[in-house]
Amino acid sequence: MPPNSYRVILTKAVAGAGLPANGPGRNHMAVRGQARSYGGIFCLIGSVAIGAGNAWSAPITFNTALPVAKNEFLVREQFIVNRSSDDPGPLNRDRTAKVAVSVLGYGVNGKLALFGVLPYRDNELKLRVSGQRVSRSASGFGDLTVFGRYTVVQQDQPGRNFRIAPFAGVKAPTGDDNKRDALGVLPPSVQVGSGSWDPLLGVVSTYQTLDYQLDGQLSYQLNTEANNFEAGDVVRLDGSLQYRLWPRTLGGGVPAFVYGVMEANLIHQQKNRFNGNKNPDSGGTRLFLTPGIQYVTRRWIGEAAVQVPVLQELNGDALENDYIARVSVRFNF
Amino acid sequence: MKIIRHSIAALMLLLLIPVAQAAGPSYALQVDGLACPFCAYGIEKKLSSIKGVEDTRVNIKTGEVIVVMGEGVPLSEELARRKVKEAGFTLRAFSRRSGGDARAPE
Repeated sequence: MPPNSYRVILTKAVAGAGLPANGPGRNHMAVRGQARSYGGIFCLIGSVAIGAGNAWSAPITFNTALPVAKNEFLVREQFIVNRSSDDPGPLNRDRTAKVAVSVLGYGVNGKLALFGVLPYRDNELKLRVSGQRVSRSASGFGDLTVFGRYTVVQQDQPGRNFRIAPFAGVKAPTGDDNKRDALGVLPPSVQVGSGSWDPLLGVVSTYQTLDYQLDGQLSYQLNTEANNFEAGDVVRLDGSLQYRLWPRTLGGGVPAFVYGVMEANLIHQQKNRFNGNKNPDSGGTRLFLTPGIQYVTRRWIGEAAVQVPVLQELNGDALENDYIARVSVRFNF
Repeated sequence: MKIIRHSIAALMLLLLIPVAQAAGPSYALQVDGLACPFCAYGIEKKLSSIKGVEDTRVNIKTGEVIVVMGEGVPLSEELARRKVKEAGFTLRAFSRRSGGDARAPE
């Protein structure tokens, strides 16, 4: 997200099963009432990654500052499974978000690159309501994120480089945010779209050598209101080390590389709001450690990683992440 | 028997002449910042887009890129520098290789 898994939405889920509703707002309000009766039915459902906008030898869970050549395209497809099933409350919530993220990168010139990130989502939330197990789900294309990244610092030396590149963009409400099932309008955590225009900005830095690569990124996403719901703003700090495991000794030409990857993702989200009121059971801070592996050739990259939560300081009665698994491929055109 | 062997050798030599003639001047570019295979492809593509380029070969370890031009087609340093920059990297050195040597760099 970035670029590529470019951000993580920590959505305070509304477990609105079993409630009739005629529209999103009414549904949310009704759910609020039910939440009170359950003493905290709201839950921090977990991270739904929006895919990395990066398409280089680069981090797996966020972007890089490496260039996209002028008038060239890069494509990335990332498949993500996000599981959250450790529910401290009585609802026995279990959420699975499967996302296929398509990323297209275009080099305007050696310094400016534009990216588009489009996820296809399949969300499911299971929970116990009035003694019955219910399942609510939705699938479809989510919100399109577009952003530009410009390299402001570029220091190239033989076999290594250092770059700093700010980026800015917006998540557009292209996904359906009014999906329903037999129980009514689905809660925001199950919807495939948010309905809101959410600007984002940040800065990414990369130090790359022939043996290893370090990346760091700081980003902020300002989430706005839609359907009487406003997800909390998200700030995240990411770091990544990619170390060449093979070949141990470089020969001539351009051999394929195998990188061992270790990343860390520190993500904080403010509390969500319903009808302007803060939800005390939403938001919080998570820290993931993410081991992974990459196979890098001239034309394509295959990679896999698992984000393991090592710290989850969440507000209220929140549902914690179990893991986020990612598999992706990137192509040079 | 010796005549046959000499005839075959002469024929092979004749067949090689057009190939040798097709190889034009080659240039060695020292590119700074190049440090991964995926990035190397961007440089190859930008240099290959130059009219008259017949082949490009990258040595990622040394950062050297050999550009082989068609016969009689020169490559200017200015154009090479611009293409490397468009790929997002920096051209440190540019030189013409003697004898139109189109071998891959070591």
